[in-house]
Amino acid sequence: MKDIREDIAWAQINTDVLKSLENPRRLYWVILFVAIAMVGVAVGCEVYQYNMGLGVGNFDNPHMWGLYIASFIFWIGMSHSGTLLSAILHLMHADWRKPIYRFAEAMTTFSLMTAGLFVAVHLGRIWQIYFALPYPNMRQVWPNFQSPLLWDAMAIFTYLSSSILFLYIGMIPDLAICRDNMHSGWRRKLYTALSLGWEGTDRQWRNFRMTYLTIACFLIPLAVSVHSIVASDFGMSQQPGWHITSFPPYFVAGALYSGCAAIITLFIILRYVFKFEEYMTMPILKKIVRLTFAISMVWTYLVWVEYATAWFGHNPHDQHLLLEKATGTYAPFWWMMNFCASVVPLILVFKRFQTNIPVLFAVSLLLNLGMWLERWMIVAPTFADGYYPWTWDHNQWPSLVQWGIVFGSFGWFTMLFMIFCKIFPSVSMYEVKEMVYHRSLATKRLQATGELAAAGKGAH
Amino acid sequence: MSKRHLLALFTDFDAAEKVVTELRNLGIKGFNAEKDMIVKSPIEHPEVEEFLGDRPVRVQWFTLFGAVGVGALLFLLVAAAQGSFFAQMKGGKPIVPFPPDFVLAYEFFILGGVYITVLGFLICAGLPARRSPLYSSKVSEDQIGILVQSEESASGTLKSIFTKHQALEIQEEAGK
Amino acid sequence: MSISTLFENYSEFRHRHPDGDVPHNPYKWAMAIDLDACSGCNACSVACYAENNLPVVGREKFAHGQVMHWMRIERYWDQDGREFPDRGARYLPMLCQQCEAAPCETVCPVGATNHTPDGLNSQIYNRCIGSRYCSSNCPYKVRYFNWWDYPSTDNVWPAEMNMQLNPDVTVRGKGVMEKCTFCIQRIRGAEIDAKTQGRLVRDGEIQTACMQACPTSAISFGNLVDPESKVHKQWRAQQVELDKHEQVKDEEPGGTDLRGYRIYEWLAPYPSIMYLERVRESEI
Repeated sequence: MKDIREDIAWAQINTDVLKSLENPRRLYWVILFVAIAMVGVAVGCEVYQYNMGLGVGNFDNPHMWGLYIASFIFWIGMSHSGTLLSAILHLMHADWRKPIYRFAEAMTTFSLMTAGLFVAVHLGRIWQIYFALPYPNMRQVWPNFQSPLLWDAMAIFTYLSSSILFLYIGMIPDLAICRDNMHSGWRRKLYTALSLGWEGTDRQWRNFRMTYLTIACFLIPLAVSVHSIVASDFGMSQQPGWHITSFPPYFVAGALYSGCAAIITLFIILRYVFKFEEYMTMPILKKIVRLTFAISMVWTYLVWVEYATAWFGHNPHDQHLLLEKATGTYAPFWWMMNFCASVVPLILVFKRFQTNIPVLFAVSLLLNLGMWLERWMIVAPTFADGYYPWTWDHNQWPSLVQWGIVFGSFGWFTMLFMIFCKIFPSVSMYEVKEMVYHRSLATKRLQATGELAAAGKGAH
Repeated sequence: MSKRHLLALFTDFDAAEKVVTELRNLGIKGFNAEKDMIVKSPIEHPEVEEFLGDRPVRVQWFTLFGAVGVGALLFLLVAAAQGSFFAQMKGGKPIVPFPPDFVLAYEFFILGGVYITVLGFLICAGLPARRSPLYSSKVSEDQIGILVQSEESASGTLKSIFTKHQALEIQEEAGK
Repeated sequence: MSISTLFENYSEFRHRHPDGDVPHNPYKWAMAIDLDACSGCNACSVACYAENNLPVVGREKFAHGQVMHWMRIERYWDQDGREFPDRGARYLPMLCQQCEAAPCETVCPVGATNHTPDGLNSQIYNRCIGSRYCSSNCPYKVRYFNWWDYPSTDNVWPAEMNMQLNPDVTVRGKGVMEKCTFCIQRIRGAEIDAKTQGRLVRDGEIQTACMQACPTSAISFGNLVDPESKVHKQWRAQQVELDKHEQVKDEEPGGTDLRGYRIYEWLAPYPSIMYLERVRESEI
């Protein structure tokens, strides 16, 4: 299996990646138009909902929350991919992350932007969303700092702004490359402005390296805490099926799972569209696939812990809820979730499938479907079968308005990602050069000390 | 006499290292190896620092003060806000409860840390930077550049050193 | 500034409630509902509609679960294989329990629901942004959300019904959460009257709309810390204490002969409504 050539010319790396920034082919515009149309559907649904009231979403008492909260958590979860690749693997000196972390970080930023939209759409009075911000005012009215939803607001704001800063700072050397190589026009002006006069001096590199490392060290506890706080929206409440102490790690595991599956999907797409076979190599894909499998098993363990505590604990409400999940209104979706998220990843055990692109593409989409269903299955059954028996009298399904907005959110994400890929380099050129450089240095050292044969070169 | 810039491009770090060592050891008149030389490279290379000599990185101090300072400040803000005019009980919990305040302090610690680190980076690295008078796009591609500024008298010596170490290209600033 | 206020009142700000805090003074509004007297007639529910300007949603939305009744009569039947299963329903009037440690108060992101010094759970309509977290956390599901655009929606109060609207109560707009307030407009009215006369509110001076309409006087309402009030005497007779989540009487022999209980007491929201169990034919 071919890994990146150690003797690849650095100029070649520049050329290959910069080629992805050229004017797009027609198919790009078609897909972008479809994505924008999907966003249009969501906007239409939201305008309708804004005018008529949230009742059009088919909500009622007790089904107070629905797909908006489920999708919100799903998109926040997907955002953990970038942090995983950028920050965690950076600290672990895993150089195979270098060709792929740029688009993963972009995915993080856009997922967070999509999640923010769902918060707004979910509110009954979206025009007063600024009440949740801690701004000083004449009446000294502050938001309620005890509320997990407010912790969400603070945490997600921190995470979004830190992700954008991290993505931008990490891109500065690449923007300098773009500035040096793009023909004049709006692109040249944009890159010149954004690259802040970067010239690769040793003073700049020294501080750059320290800054990148420091922000990576901050981002890891931030990512863990953000999704733990989102989990505490549920964990801090008393409702059966929600008041579970394992929710924070369970959600974080689900988030990493979701993010890894999305990385596989985007990896396959970008590799094919931009012809990045030289950089997004099969060994890297194999590593991501194995990582996804490992995380899927961690997630499976945690979800079984949740079921076991519900079943073997002596709380009849939790037991009743678990039975209802498996046999009640939402049962088909619950079983589909368990299948997609726990059974489907077992395919990844087989070496034959670990580099089989069509299979991986389908599997990654199924995994994310499973994770989306999981979020829905946390939200909906607790409302349908909570503590109070009077509330158990009717079924509730989300209306087309809710489905429309969820559908449109995928279009929004796609649109943002596609625009990103055509303006900013989706493979980090300077990091690929570093990867190639360090690998060739390592090979030279082995050659020099005569250990080359012993090392069995080729097995990375 | 005014200082003029020279830019020499080399193919790899070894050549650049040899040049820098020689420039430093020779002690050329009209040229100060500490202040008048900048090495530019397409990737970071810790060994560049080794042969250039130790220069401290101050970004971490920004981080420390920013994280601790902003975290503490915003923690106080949150707690004070909870105790302000409309201090009403919620859910039987104390008006200034510890768990939510600590969760928020944790987030603000990270927020402050990241923001101030970025600010520190921009200040310590001197960005946005004014572009150098001499620059080659090859520096961002695959060649190492050494930018020196020296008096007229020294430029001949410098050029000969560069050529000796197989400089791929030598740019000279046009006369003033 | 707020920071100096924080340091001055620090010990006050650290109290928990109700078990770690000072008792209410001079008012703590509480209720007792006698389920043996309740006939399920729904007069209380209708009175609440009239008093608090509740929108009438219509049959379709009612069936959908989007009804706005702040007080609801729930009906429960035993499934013991009796000959006529539809007979013998038991009625439970359920309304906001005005919990002392309300789960809804902690979770509102903007602080639209708080606990007042006289023991009510307040809902501030202007502040509510409609996140519905409060209702998600309520064990009783007694919070009602304005899913549509009441009162602007058609036929909410058909002609002439709008003549009976109560000018003392605000109407709630689109996307706002509402719930029973123990007829706070009546409470405040009586408190103001009493204050101008330089005295405290007397027992029986305040009647909530539901209590006023009940034909069997199943509902009693009053000041729990006033030893002369009916509600206080009922709670004491039943040995139900406000600030406990497990009553002492339940451990003692003969304690369960007392009919008084609170719903979901073990979740420790410390509700302010005591129900008096219906006298049954058989043992449960």
